[in-house]
Amino acid sequence: MTNDKKLFIGFVGLFAIVNAILLGGGYLDMGWTSLGVIVAAGLTISLYSFLYHDNPLFKLAEHIFVGVAAAYIFGIYWYQSLYGEVIVRLFSIGDDPGTTTQRLLLLVPSILGLLILTRLSVKTAWLSRISFAFVVGVGAGFTIPRYISAFVLSQIEPTIRPITMDLDGLNLVLIMIGVISVLVYFFFSVEHRGFVGGVSKVGIWFLMISFGASFGYTIMARLSLLIGRVRFLLDDWLHVM
Amino acid sequence: MDLLNIDRRIIFVFVFVGVAIPLMLDFSFPIKPTEPVIRVFDEFERVAGEKDPVVLVSFSYGPSTEPEMQPMAMAILRHAFSRDIKVIAICLVADGPGLAEQALAQVGAEYGKEYGIDYAFLGYKPGLWAPIINMGQDFHNAWPRDARSTLISDVPVAANIRDLNDFDLVFDLASGDSIEFWWIPFGVEKYKFPFSAGCTAVMAPDLYPFLQSNQLRGMMGGLAGAAEYEHLIEIPGSATAGMRAQSVTHLIIVAFILLGNAAYFASRRKVTA
Repeated sequence: MTNDKKLFIGFVGLFAIVNAILLGGGYLDMGWTSLGVIVAAGLTISLYSFLYHDNPLFKLAEHIFVGVAAAYIFGIYWYQSLYGEVIVRLFSIGDDPGTTTQRLLLLVPSILGLLILTRLSVKTAWLSRISFAFVVGVGAGFTIPRYISAFVLSQIEPTIRPITMDLDGLNLVLIMIGVISVLVYFFFSVEHRGFVGGVSKVGIWFLMISFGASFGYTIMARLSLLIGRVRFLLDDWLHVM
Repeated sequence: MDLLNIDRRIIFVFVFVGVAIPLMLDFSFPIKPTEPVIRVFDEFERVAGEKDPVVLVSFSYGPSTEPEMQPMAMAILRHAFSRDIKVIAICLVADGPGLAEQALAQVGAEYGKEYGIDYAFLGYKPGLWAPIINMGQDFHNAWPRDARSTLISDVPVAANIRDLNDFDLVFDLASGDSIEFWWIPFGVEKYKFPFSAGCTAVMAPDLYPFLQSNQLRGMMGGLAGAAEYEHLIEIPGSATAGMRAQSVTHLIIVAFILLGNAAYFASRRKVTA
């Protein structure tokens, strides 16, 4: 018997015993909610079993997740968007208050959306370019001025504020040194030697501190997710909290 | 040398124990609210002083970040409902509606709030940033019905909202691009409404520049941000409890980093000698 088979049989056996104790002891009842808790606990443990090494339980849970997530997202898209906002409006189903003009206008994005599906056939795939051209054109038209405004112009103003003789002023000085030195580091048209090399080294320090802060926050985020799952296992499933 | 080649599974066991034990024990670390979180609190207090205050809360997160984001949602909803602020909730990510409805129903029931009068949920809309532009022009055109298929004009809390500027505050709970790449460029920059946000810890460092420029008036980052907010509203919840485990595990990770570095420098000295 391979290790994977032993792991699978051992896990299923232990999981069944624990759930039998929980059900027998009255910690979980025989309702749908408890069934949901048991399934969620099994899937959670199966997914975390990957930390030991890759195994069939992990793969099983992974495939269930992909299937359920795809179906859930499709359900949301269908009921709240495709049916709820397109079909209901186009065909005046129920008490839809839309006017004829609104319905005719809705035909334009609907046809553009359907054209994307023409990519399913090689012969008709060229039609999808019309939709993609629309998406790229509108996307660029909306995005470029908004991004320049939000990420460049609005960010320059607080960076070049007058420096005051307090902690805020010190922050401003640090931000200015950081912005200039990092820009110099990424300016590759001049060899990084002498004064330019010194400034770019300061830039590297700022970058390293920023990477460290991001990494620290990432650890915090991942631990929060682990805490959520462990709390579920200990509280909702095992009732030991 | 053994420390440099430690089996990663040993570290996993330490991390698991560091999470599980503090969750089962009852103790606490001091929580000191930081300035970005205090600014969020102050924004809600400002809104509470307005006439017929209404806040738009955008749920832009799904189950994958639920442990970080749901405590935040609960905390701001508790603050809003305790100060009689009306809430209109929307979703801009497809897997968010379930969590949004759960949070609204639970906190609404805690404060005896009535659906339609005190709060409403309008559901999910695809299009990333496009619905934000649409809401800025005509809110009722963007959301013709709520999530229960009631016509928006028949939902009292939303009946008089014409566009985004009719909200006293827009608050985005985000686990992706929505704060930085949707709400700020296409909403705040274009329509100039007051905007604050809560985000996952991964995103928080990228958002500090927007706090400095006041494009973001306040920010809650990760579970720590949620715990700080729970401290400010004096209603400890799951984030406060989670911070025990978070703090202990951080200490374990710091200890491993120190040990690893000490072992590395010791091994280098041995090789040089």
